[in-house]
Amino acid sequence: MRDPDQYKILILTTNVSSYPGANTVGQARLQYSPGTSILRVPDPVMFPEEFYLNAFRKGVDGIIVMSSGSDCPYEGAYRRLSARIQRVYRRMKEEGIDKSRLKLTTICTVCKTAFLKEIAEMQENLRKLEEAAAQA
Amino acid sequence: MSETTSGSPSPGTPSREEIRVGVYVCHCGGNISDVVDVAKVVEEVGRHPSVEVSKHFPFLCSDPGQQLILEDIRRNGVNRVVVSACSPFLHETTFRKALQRAGLNPYLYEHVNVREQVSWVHKAKRESATEKAIRLTLAGVEKVARQDPLEAIRVQAEPHVVVIGAGIAGMRAAVSAARRGLRVTLIEKSDRTGGRLNELATLYPDNESARAVVDDLTQMVVGDGNIDLCLNSRLTMVDGYVGSFTVGFETRGPEGPILRQVRAGAIILATGFRHYEPFEGELGYGQSPDVMTLPEFNRALESTPPGDLPTFGGRRVRHVAFVHCVGSRQIEGVHRPQPDGRVNDYCSRVCCTAALHSIHRLMDKHPGVRVFDVYRDIRTYGRGHEDLYEKASKRGVLFFRHTEENQPTVELQASQNGHPPHRIRVRDVLTWNEEVEIPVDLVVLATGMMPSDIGGIVQTMKLPVGSDRFLQEVHPKLRPVEVANNGVFLAGTCQGPMDAVEAVAAGEAAAVKASILLSKGVIEMDPFVARVREERCDGCALCLNECEYRGALAMAESADGRKVARVNPALCAGCGACAAVCEPRAIEVAGWSLDQFDAMVDALVSR
Amino acid sequence: MIANHPVDKADALVVGAGIAGLQAALDLADQGFQVVIAERQPSIGGHMINLSKVFPTLDCASCITTPRMASASHHPNIRVFTYTEVEAIRPVGDRFEATLTRKPRHIDEDRCIGCKRCEEACTVYLPDEYEHGLGAKKAVSIPFTNAIPQYPVLDMDECFLCGGCARACPTDAIDYLQQPETFRLEAGAVILATGYDMTPMDAKSQYGGGRLPNVISPWQAERLLAPHGPYGGVLRPSDGKVPDSIAFVQCAGSRDLSLGVPYCSRVCCMYAIKQAMLLSGSLPIADITIYYMDIRAFGKGYEQFYLNAKAMGIEFVKAKVARITEDEDHNPIVRIERQEADAAPEEVRHDLVILSLGMVPAWVPDRDGIVPLQTGSDRFLLSPKPRVSPTLTSLPGVFACGAATGPKDIVDSIVEAGAAAMQAAAHLQRTLAGAVR
Repeated sequence: MRDPDQYKILILTTNVSSYPGANTVGQARLQYSPGTSILRVPDPVMFPEEFYLNAFRKGVDGIIVMSSGSDCPYEGAYRRLSARIQRVYRRMKEEGIDKSRLKLTTICTVCKTAFLKEIAEMQENLRKLEEAAAQA
Repeated sequence: MSETTSGSPSPGTPSREEIRVGVYVCHCGGNISDVVDVAKVVEEVGRHPSVEVSKHFPFLCSDPGQQLILEDIRRNGVNRVVVSACSPFLHETTFRKALQRAGLNPYLYEHVNVREQVSWVHKAKRESATEKAIRLTLAGVEKVARQDPLEAIRVQAEPHVVVIGAGIAGMRAAVSAARRGLRVTLIEKSDRTGGRLNELATLYPDNESARAVVDDLTQMVVGDGNIDLCLNSRLTMVDGYVGSFTVGFETRGPEGPILRQVRAGAIILATGFRHYEPFEGELGYGQSPDVMTLPEFNRALESTPPGDLPTFGGRRVRHVAFVHCVGSRQIEGVHRPQPDGRVNDYCSRVCCTAALHSIHRLMDKHPGVRVFDVYRDIRTYGRGHEDLYEKASKRGVLFFRHTEENQPTVELQASQNGHPPHRIRVRDVLTWNEEVEIPVDLVVLATGMMPSDIGGIVQTMKLPVGSDRFLQEVHPKLRPVEVANNGVFLAGTCQGPMDAVEAVAAGEAAAVKASILLSKGVIEMDPFVARVREERCDGCALCLNECEYRGALAMAESADGRKVARVNPALCAGCGACAAVCEPRAIEVAGWSLDQFDAMVDALVSR
Repeated sequence: MIANHPVDKADALVVGAGIAGLQAALDLADQGFQVVIAERQPSIGGHMINLSKVFPTLDCASCITTPRMASASHHPNIRVFTYTEVEAIRPVGDRFEATLTRKPRHIDEDRCIGCKRCEEACTVYLPDEYEHGLGAKKAVSIPFTNAIPQYPVLDMDECFLCGGCARACPTDAIDYLQQPETFRLEAGAVILATGYDMTPMDAKSQYGGGRLPNVISPWQAERLLAPHGPYGGVLRPSDGKVPDSIAFVQCAGSRDLSLGVPYCSRVCCMYAIKQAMLLSGSLPIADITIYYMDIRAFGKGYEQFYLNAKAMGIEFVKAKVARITEDEDHNPIVRIERQEADAAPEEVRHDLVILSLGMVPAWVPDRDGIVPLQTGSDRFLLSPKPRVSPTLTSLPGVFACGAATGPKDIVDSIVEAGAAAMQAAAHLQRTLAGAVR
């Protein structure tokens, strides 16, 4: 079993809300797993389904998509993003990748607690998967 | 489209040999280096084949820090820069400017956050924090290695504004824009300026003369050489995009209609409102001359002969009732909907104070009159408005309050002896929810606001409309006087109910946006918008379905005669929705391409 | 840009860096005018940056405010002076001479990197005014997480002079001896965006504000609801209990001549509805009641917002609140007189009560000096031509916007800020052209 800090968690953040939200967590010196890597994008709507699947194939353990939700500055982007994530889930199922490895959520510029909660939950999901795999 | 120039050269992957990345890791005076082993980061990242130099420094944002980078660019052939330091929101612009000073395109730069998102959040885990810093820095190297120079997108801006509607908001917008040196074409469909203010004698709460306000603004319009006031005119077509619209309009003249066209950089809509028209039989309206709307009442009050009691339509009137929220705050299933099937569920904002203002004018002119006021909530929110409400109570106006469930009704000719002839029935909250009958001679309906009938303009310009049918701003706080159509602004009550002060302020706010847009002659926009590698585009047009921005994306013919997608950078917002569906990766957001992200993910999983 | 050193000239001086001042400054600077912003607080952002979410869209307030704060602080045509008082504004010809004083932060801004090590080292705890008394801060601290600029302020009145901060600072930026610095600025136009204060909590002593621990201000409610608030959740002050029954008392500072605030403060209905909705979201089983006289949901989308709140189960009770007392467990007891029925006054026990306070001007010329200007009987600034140029003041070249000209919500303040910038731009264009001639 790996140390949960070793889990490679990819976090997609937006320029306008969740990336500054991650900065707010830092300014408050709140601690979370160093296995995380934060990528900044205008909006995660730009990623095709394949991007997520490839990331898993390459060895990413979990992906958290931190969107801007209702604060999204782009027309219709959130609607498209959530539809796409649903399609990614279907593809994941086909490929035998557990659904709990991917999470779409909304994080604002000051959502400190929610940010930490998402990472802790993803770590827990990954731990359970590893545990189940070890038992099997 | 010819004026729209995307300055970025045709995108392509530069050959890897040319790329020489300089990597700089900041200690931030211990903030980073106390947790992250910066020497190790520099050493590990320095092994990357594209990295020419790799250094760490106590304060990279300081002058000596920036100098270090400048020297490497000038002397050591560094042509891409990665700085691993604090959040990019603090110093990304600092370093971009440094690159510019060294003669390098400022976009060949990547800022990696190893403070807020590494050292400050993994304090007790030095080793893994260092690993994370290495990963993120390598990802930055991969990204910048795939970055080509970008230039701001520049669009020629015609220093000319078309304002549609010469009410007070439109006139104010026109005057303000003209005073900033912009030429203005002010198009008004009627034969005079002033719009709805012409219907009023005085304005609440201070009784300012409406005529004086209209005259004042009209004189400013007429006296300004930059403004071309076109009365009796109607919009016929709009083409083009921000900075360069073509606006056609038709002016009715004695010799028949004249068609004209102007080129304009921006358009301000000030098309105003119309009054809600009660349905036949709604609270007795249309079935008796004794039921009238507030605008009708205001007009009639102008010509009542002076005296203790007024005479309306030849009948002396002693008891007058004002009913609020007619055509506003309507409830689905209770109120009759408009032809589009929707009721007016919004508050019209001005009618409470407007009704109270008219009540005072009535009582000032005819002190013997008895006034009843039937309302749900009195919304005298503005400056001086509450005074009108207070004074009305003091003057003996009787208020009856009903709930939304119990709407008042009007019974015409309900009285046996005919004096007063009509009755209002209302379940009054203020007197124990009892049903009260108010005998009245005259019923005044405080009607709400609806947008002017501008279906034609909405269709021509493809304007966004809200569920309340008013024109819809992009965001009430971020961009309150702009619509999604770039270069089109909203002034006054076409956007929603407002009083005169608010409408004029909105007119000026719209004008300032036009002035910002057009005063420099060119419109400069961020280069982070979609672009197409035409050689990769297979013409499938899937991207068009994804784009929410009208005109941003279209199919066109390439130089070699193929059907390819083409971006109008002036209209693209850069969300990247198009990129997600493009299998050959022909379309991408400049500075944020999927090739870059793939390489970044590779770097992130490499350790 | 954040200015660390005095400048002597600008096209326009904007007083106040709340949302109205920032918008006015940006709208001028984007037209190419050189703007100086003077803000008396250590951070820009005004009241708005401390709100949780904003009506009627329920957008995160910080997410709406921070981009404007960042634009102003990076704008090449803007110089932002924080922690700076405007002492006087004097017309000189068709221009103005302003006297400004930079208050000592006791930090060398040129050296500070905003790392908060001083704050970590400091051992003196003080009530945090940004948390409205609900939290603590250090004697040297950055005012709040998303403050701009990220410089701390060292409160020398409370400092023990232990030297801990100076030792912890990696850049030697602590300056215990820093003095106020006064400088003159010449500007062609002035925009006053001086904003509002809330009516005092104890204005109606019968409501127990400031005395009863569980009768709180709307500011405190905002902080309890903010995702980065002091307790990380909604807890009542007296005992940290999660409240099950929460009441809002409307018009607790407005529409009352005896308070000197006969006018409607225009935003209280909506912020109370918003807070009620947010409370209902974070405490789904709590009973939430709003005692009110009239619900004034007059803005675009506001009536629908009100209807949504009703549909969520928030109870709206037409009643006057006569007084508020408390029981032995500090549960507020609200004595109400229902408007709706023939009922005798009743007493209702709640766990937490929020007084919906009103707005008064933060700066009043005849009280606070600086520049003499005409005000209305409500003491807000007055335009001589409200329907032609709503942002004029009685002094040509001085313009006003936002809550300085009367209670106003954020949308209306932003629109009016644009109007003031337009007036100032036209004025500058005229006077600058005159100067060239």
